[in-house]
Amino acid sequence: MPGMRDVEIRSRSTELLIMCIVFMLSLPVITGYALIILSSFSRDMVTNLDPSAFKPTLTNWILLFHGRTALFAGIRVNIWGIVFNTLIVALGISLLVTITGALTGYAISRMNFHGRKHIMALLILLHAFPGSVLVVGVAFIYRLFMPSYTYVVYYSFFFVILARAAIEIPMATWLMKGFFDMIPWEIEWSAIVDGASRIRVWWKILLPLIKPGLAAVMLFGFLAGWMDLIYVRTFLAEPTLAVFIEYNVHAEYAYLPLVAAAGTLYLLPTILFFLFAQKLIFTISVSGIKG
Amino acid sequence: MVVVRLDRVTKIFKGGVVGVKDISLTIKHGEFMALLGPSGSGKSTTLYLIAGIYKPTSGRIYFDDRDVTNLPPKDRNVGLVFQNWALYPHMKVYENIAFPLRLKKLPEEEIKRRVLDVARMLQIDKLLDRYPWQLSGGQQQRVAIARALVKEPDVLLLDEPLSNLDAILRISVRAELKRLQKKLGITTIYVTHDQAEALAMADRIALINEGRIVQVGTPEEVYNRPATVFVGGFLGNPPMNFLEAEVEDLDKEIFLVIGKYRIRAPERYWSIIRRLKTKRVIIGFRPEDTSIKPESLDTICLPGRVYGIEPLGRENIVVIEIGGELVKIISGRRISLTLDQMVWICPVMEKIILFDPATGKALDRLVVEEKIRAI
Repeated sequence: MPGMRDVEIRSRSTELLIMCIVFMLSLPVITGYALIILSSFSRDMVTNLDPSAFKPTLTNWILLFHGRTALFAGIRVNIWGIVFNTLIVALGISLLVTITGALTGYAISRMNFHGRKHIMALLILLHAFPGSVLVVGVAFIYRLFMPSYTYVVYYSFFFVILARAAIEIPMATWLMKGFFDMIPWEIEWSAIVDGASRIRVWWKILLPLIKPGLAAVMLFGFLAGWMDLIYVRTFLAEPTLAVFIEYNVHAEYAYLPLVAAAGTLYLLPTILFFLFAQKLIFTISVSGIKG
Repeated sequence: MVVVRLDRVTKIFKGGVVGVKDISLTIKHGEFMALLGPSGSGKSTTLYLIAGIYKPTSGRIYFDDRDVTNLPPKDRNVGLVFQNWALYPHMKVYENIAFPLRLKKLPEEEIKRRVLDVARMLQIDKLLDRYPWQLSGGQQQRVAIARALVKEPDVLLLDEPLSNLDAILRISVRAELKRLQKKLGITTIYVTHDQAEALAMADRIALINEGRIVQVGTPEEVYNRPATVFVGGFLGNPPMNFLEAEVEDLDKEIFLVIGKYRIRAPERYWSIIRRLKTKRVIIGFRPEDTSIKPESLDTICLPGRVYGIEPLGRENIVVIEIGGELVKIISGRRISLTLDQMVWICPVMEKIILFDPATGKALDRLVVEEKIRAI
């Protein structure tokens, strides 16, 4: 019959219309990102959509990598140290969230214990709390265990990772629970009858089957740490990229194109994540489990 | 290879759902025992209790004289094959089969030797380098059996391993599996809801319904002497026919009255009926033990109307309506019946089985039970 189509195929004109609408909606966001990247390669900020403001240069990046945050003043910062700090925090949170999420998600999905339902409800509630609301309480705990000044830098790293991960863990737990739920019980039983302990089943059989889920949780944790401002600014003894940018935006000596370069550097993992996540999300169904 | 003994095992799940109730069963050394029952009857629960995946609420489980009731699955040395085979999707066939041995920390060359041995036996030695999703259903099933056998288990437990195969393959694998079991002489417990599978493969069949064992016996026993209406109605395709009847005792003879018609009760039942003072019975007769005749020649024939004919090639199933009830009769290859034709159906007297309508039990069983009670 002419004009007949498979259910999943839309007509070309509908497709085009949808694409247009999506493009229009994302235009402000794209413009914002484009301007900041453009500004980082310019002598003046390219704002107000004025193309004449774009005066190409690499000075901003060179200055940034030398840690000179102002054009004339002799202020120097250790930019690589800052990137390193940011990485420590982001990776620490990512690791902690993934390990805890994979363990708690397994427990909630596969074990029958008292109060399991309540814990699940509480986790959602916890996730609904913004981290900034909790900051006073967290600060109290921070003071409570604070060591002598010699160790406070290490302590602050440890603490920030712990506190920031705690906020991400409820969501990670739910995500992991969903993945564990998808694996048939028979696979786990099989392994147990074969002689594996439950922790070994978890490690050898289940975790390899939910790799896409693990990767997703790992990335979410990483980005949470990379982007966090409030916790890092409040508790961490050293600056991260986010804090560095935030300081420099309103510093007296602020040289904005250089800040734009720092912002672009800061965006990098997000862009990488976007490219990586596209692949990831399409393979997220646990393939090959069904007989 | 061991004797598996269940002693009054009960499993009640959280929330009060009864899995199995008061099951006692002994599976002999090297025996192929089928647990047969409809879905939800508790047959898989029984299997998982033997495997150690579930723990019984009460009762004990023995392997030989060893009490394994509280032993975790890994210490029972059982091999288990699931309906969906539960292969580890991220491991190649070799690694799947080797997994139980690796957990035992056997040396690498020992693992290799045993995996290759079992793979050769099951004719999957050419597939060792593939992933499970690259295999057909039949091949996956062989891998699952290989994985269960490679650790040389004392007991082999099979949970509907053939149900995910297509019909033709299922029948060919049936014979193969039975042969393999006899060759290895391994005590095997096989859960199925397919009565043909159980009859074809098992040394003995335990029929399970609503969490209880209804009858245990060889295929011939359970098929020819069903203990209850359930067993008669579950075994055979088509299964046993049932008609309700009133008992009429005329001192000299006993008759069974079905609607307006009456037939002579089989003579071996006379004393039983008198002893139990039975008023009503269910007459059970198998489709293949009944003939269709154009006129009544015997006192055992009942009139009926041809309701439908199902040709199956080798035979024809004739559906006949008797006083509002439908019965199925297997007749020969060539028949000359038309719809709505009046015929007489004549069950073979010796093959008729009478049941008690109240309990569903066969009358001769009830007599035995009564005798035991009297002692």
